[in-house]
Amino acid sequence: MKRINPASIFNFTSIFNFIFSLLLPFVLGAIVVALLGHDPQEALRELFRGAFVGRLSLGTTLQKWVPILLTGLAFCITSQVRYFNIGVEGCFYMGALFSAGAGFLITGLPWYFHIPSCFFAGVLAGSVWAAIPGVLRVYWQVNESCSTIMFNYVAIQFAGFMIVNPWSAKSAASQTMPILPSAALSRLMPPSRANSGLFIALALYAAVFWIIRKTRLGFKMRSTGANPFFTDYMGIDSRRVVVLATALSGAVGGFAGSVETMGVYGNIIDGFSGWLAFDGMLAALISKNNLWLLPVYSFMIAALKTGALGMERFTGVPKALIDTIIAILIIFLSMDNLFRFRFHFHFPRRKSEEKAR
Amino acid sequence: MDPVVQMRNIHKQFPHVKAVDGGRIDIQAGEIHALIGENGAGKSTLMRLLYGMYPLDSGTISVGGNVFSAPGYSTKEAIRMGIGMVHQEFMLVNELTVLENVILGFEPTLRGGRLDFSRAEENIGRYIEDYGLDVPLGRTVKTISVGTAQRVEIIKTLYRGAELLILDEPTAVLTPQETEQLFSILRTMRDGGKTIVFISHKLGEIMEIGDRITVMRAGKYVTTLNKKDTNPAELASLMVGREVPGDKPRVRAASTETVFSVEHLYVASDRELSTLRDVSFSIRRGEVLGIAGVDGNGQSELIEALTGLRKIQGGTARLFGRNIVGEKPRAIRAAGLGHIPEDRNVRGLNKDFTAAENLFAARIDEPRFGGWGILRKGAILGYAKNLIETFDIRPAAPEVRVAALSGGNAQKIVVAREIDAEKGFLIACQPTRGVDVGAIQAIRDTLNQAKARGVSILLVSTDLDEILTMSDRIVTLYKGRITSELVNENVNIESLGLAMMGGAQS
Amino acid sequence: METLSNIVTYSLVHATLRMSTPVVLATLAAVISRQGGITNIGIEGIMLFGAYFGFVSAWVSGNWLWGVAASVVAGVVVSAAIGIVHLKHNTHIFVIGFAMNMLALGGTRFLLQQMFNVSGALLVDKPVTLPILRLSLAERNPVTASLFSGYSLFELLAPLLVLGVWYVLYRTAAGLRLRSVGLHEPAARSAGIDVYRVKMRAILLSGVFAGIAGAHLSMGYSSMFVENMTNGRGFMALAAANFGGGNPIYAFLGCLVFGLSDSIAIRLQSTGIPAQFVLMVPYLVTVAVLTSAMIGHSRRSDAARIARKLTEEIQGKEIRGKANEKGKGS
Repeated sequence: MKRINPASIFNFTSIFNFIFSLLLPFVLGAIVVALLGHDPQEALRELFRGAFVGRLSLGTTLQKWVPILLTGLAFCITSQVRYFNIGVEGCFYMGALFSAGAGFLITGLPWYFHIPSCFFAGVLAGSVWAAIPGVLRVYWQVNESCSTIMFNYVAIQFAGFMIVNPWSAKSAASQTMPILPSAALSRLMPPSRANSGLFIALALYAAVFWIIRKTRLGFKMRSTGANPFFTDYMGIDSRRVVVLATALSGAVGGFAGSVETMGVYGNIIDGFSGWLAFDGMLAALISKNNLWLLPVYSFMIAALKTGALGMERFTGVPKALIDTIIAILIIFLSMDNLFRFRFHFHFPRRKSEEKAR
Repeated sequence: MDPVVQMRNIHKQFPHVKAVDGGRIDIQAGEIHALIGENGAGKSTLMRLLYGMYPLDSGTISVGGNVFSAPGYSTKEAIRMGIGMVHQEFMLVNELTVLENVILGFEPTLRGGRLDFSRAEENIGRYIEDYGLDVPLGRTVKTISVGTAQRVEIIKTLYRGAELLILDEPTAVLTPQETEQLFSILRTMRDGGKTIVFISHKLGEIMEIGDRITVMRAGKYVTTLNKKDTNPAELASLMVGREVPGDKPRVRAASTETVFSVEHLYVASDRELSTLRDVSFSIRRGEVLGIAGVDGNGQSELIEALTGLRKIQGGTARLFGRNIVGEKPRAIRAAGLGHIPEDRNVRGLNKDFTAAENLFAARIDEPRFGGWGILRKGAILGYAKNLIETFDIRPAAPEVRVAALSGGNAQKIVVAREIDAEKGFLIACQPTRGVDVGAIQAIRDTLNQAKARGVSILLVSTDLDEILTMSDRIVTLYKGRITSELVNENVNIESLGLAMMGGAQS
Repeated sequence: METLSNIVTYSLVHATLRMSTPVVLATLAAVISRQGGITNIGIEGIMLFGAYFGFVSAWVSGNWLWGVAASVVAGVVVSAAIGIVHLKHNTHIFVIGFAMNMLALGGTRFLLQQMFNVSGALLVDKPVTLPILRLSLAERNPVTASLFSGYSLFELLAPLLVLGVWYVLYRTAAGLRLRSVGLHEPAARSAGIDVYRVKMRAILLSGVFAGIAGAHLSMGYSSMFVENMTNGRGFMALAAANFGGGNPIYAFLGCLVFGLSDSIAIRLQSTGIPAQFVLMVPYLVTVAVLTSAMIGHSRRSDAARIARKLTEEIQGKEIRGKANEKGKGS
């Protein structure tokens, strides 16, 4: 039986655990860098500079933070109802695709109508796409962790078709036509591609946080996740709540895609995401449904990814190494009691306290 | 005579409760040793520690001269020492056959690890014959009855070489006749040299089957007595540690107005045994109708159907004259039904939520708890505080998590919510299962008060004592059909038991 | 009509087996872990590592056996890591699984860059591949040649391995213990079974099969290593295991459906259907197969059977009741 102790979140053991889980992957990375014949100190410095120093670096980190934060949030929403939505990537694609479509097909609107309609197209596409496996799960018990993965591939192929064929820019690279200026989000820190989507994303994050904690819908969702039998018996249709949660999750995922199109790229390019939503999902998973931690972890991943670009450019240490380090970091952060045994030895007082409880 | 098992100074702490606090027991070879105490007295935990299911916090266990102390004692070790346990919740894999379940962990194999089913059948056949433990070896467990499953559990322990058998509340799921059968099996086993520990809180049973009796209270050892030196009244006061108030005499209902009626109800289940066919009954205003039956004869299906959680295939059910067949749970609740579900840990409560959240959940869509979809915390807490006070739920803190509450107080939350929700009709399933004596009395009083107000109650229970104390009329359910309908006057437990086995079919 | 006859030909048999074998091998990995109650989402990553180390070792040593051995070792090492992190440190299997997949993607990319200074794909002049079994008797005729000859080693071994895994799961003591752990852990524990050890072994064995699946992918199915060459096959394997309810034979049939749809889809390309829709087919088929399996399962369930029977009984009663009324009236 797992010991539940609310105070343990802030006890010594878990803080040391956190710090060591954070440091160890970097130490390993530094060793590999040294073995490759580079200077680990310099690599680390460039990693930091590449992520935070200068408008371009910091702006790029913020730009990359938005989709990771939002896709992580999308994953968290369905986690509330105990539904593993691995299909956020598909919604991300669908959102990007349809907001791009709305971006160049709808003409003659002022920006204050055009931007919301593009968002609407992306959000709608994402929520419909996410709700299909949701419906399959609640009515026919189709395992969502299988179906949503498959839906990702279908969405990517579908987007690929639209990019190459009907909506193609007819250029050398496979990409769609650019969206009209009236649909573009304003840039914040040129020359970086950070954009005003950041503020909308943060507002959305706060809104979802509030919905889950304070509203009737949020209560129904949390109740369904904690005990669907209880929920049904209380007269709340848990199946409808699950479908609603998947749609909401897809809406957030679609919104993330819209920001990429309208704020970052100005169109959509085949394979533009590169499984970005998986980064978001992992950030959500290591924050263990704690909505306060998700922004921290997603920012960390975004910063590492951005810093890796700078590091590769200035020191020649390959970016793939950072991807590997992020993976190891996630594994360490997710592990319970990684370094626990030592601290019990150093703080025997804690043990007696626990006993006294 | 030297004891085969000695447990001394046993302590076990769980996250929220100290389950065993200085427990001890001496078990002698070849006896039936009864271990008694109220719910939550720590008897199951003590025996689970003996079976190595949890690590000991402290204390020593000595089995046949081998002394073990914390840690370094496991189920594997216990089995090796000849200890077997039949749990209250059976430890059987539903999807496997009876034979596979019996041999699991101790499989006879041919060369290359291949299972030797014929040798296994041979080995098991011995126990079937010696003790009259009749089981169908080839059937999958999910298709057999509860009584048979219990015999499978006993064979399992014997097959693993158990000399000492622990049975945890074995009669809770049996009819009086099946109980008699079990007792005769146990006596045969004792006379054949086995030792048996029998956990129960029913005094009648213990006086019948036990040789020696150990009493536990609140995790502590109280005393050990010989059966011939004691009597039920003494045991009761030792168990509870104070005077137990008896049930007040039942007040008969006088009204003739029918509140709820069911006619020719057909409900499908995933087992033939619990599929309801042609069920009809009615309840008058202020009347308690008891449904008696062995667990799994369609009670759960009946309740689920009446509350809108399961599809009704045919027939009608009328609440205040309105047909509720095909309605959603929410609509039926709105029509005036309150429902104490049979298992508070599954349907009754959301253990990770607070008391307040559990209390108001059925009324979540009422405007007083929030407009525009936003919940009003103040209104929820106020509502909860009111109910907590009225029903004396402890601790009186609306924001405490339900998982931290005792069984009795958790059940009181369910009762409070449902009594507050009903508008004249209440379905109460196993309303006092797994709660301590004090809470049992409080819950029964609450139900009787509701009855006095004119509320009609459909009481479903496998506890015959409860049915006999509380009901005005009794119907028995057997294999999904109603086998008899009795007015509760001079009903004796034997004839009721017979009807529960389909004997008195009219 | 003509296009149809171009698509459905005798060569479809070979093509189906060819397309499905990588998934079949991965499915065995998924089945074994699933029977122990673990959704091993990291199979995708284990396969990728297996594919990389298998291909490279075979090429360096010049012997395919060394390649397969390296794949198996890589599979066991990675799955051991998954097992320890999941079972000992309570990490959710999805976290460690997806993180492993990420690690495999980044790790193989990194190794490609460092060891061979290439990115994207590793093509070599003389790749060492798994043996292809030819039957000279069948080679005389193009039809029999296609049907009976020219299979890569694991394309023939895979069905045998499926039977072997089935046998171990349903006929041996080890299989019974594994299944009981997956079905009802407390029951297994109360039978004195060391649940941790059983699960760990299942994960390790799962790693062996996933490693072999990777070896086949880079040395049998193709003869090169490409970044992310698994391309969702590990996930399809989980779907197939899910479809088969843990039974390797049903799961194998599910894989054949994927393989068939895949090979038909490729032929459809010649009819002018856009490539993207063709590439979508296996994933859509997976979802369709899963859904139909679940619908079929609920139709065949005891509950549905009893419900149908009950409905018939009620209808019978009503008809009889009406007949009685008529009888009374006349």
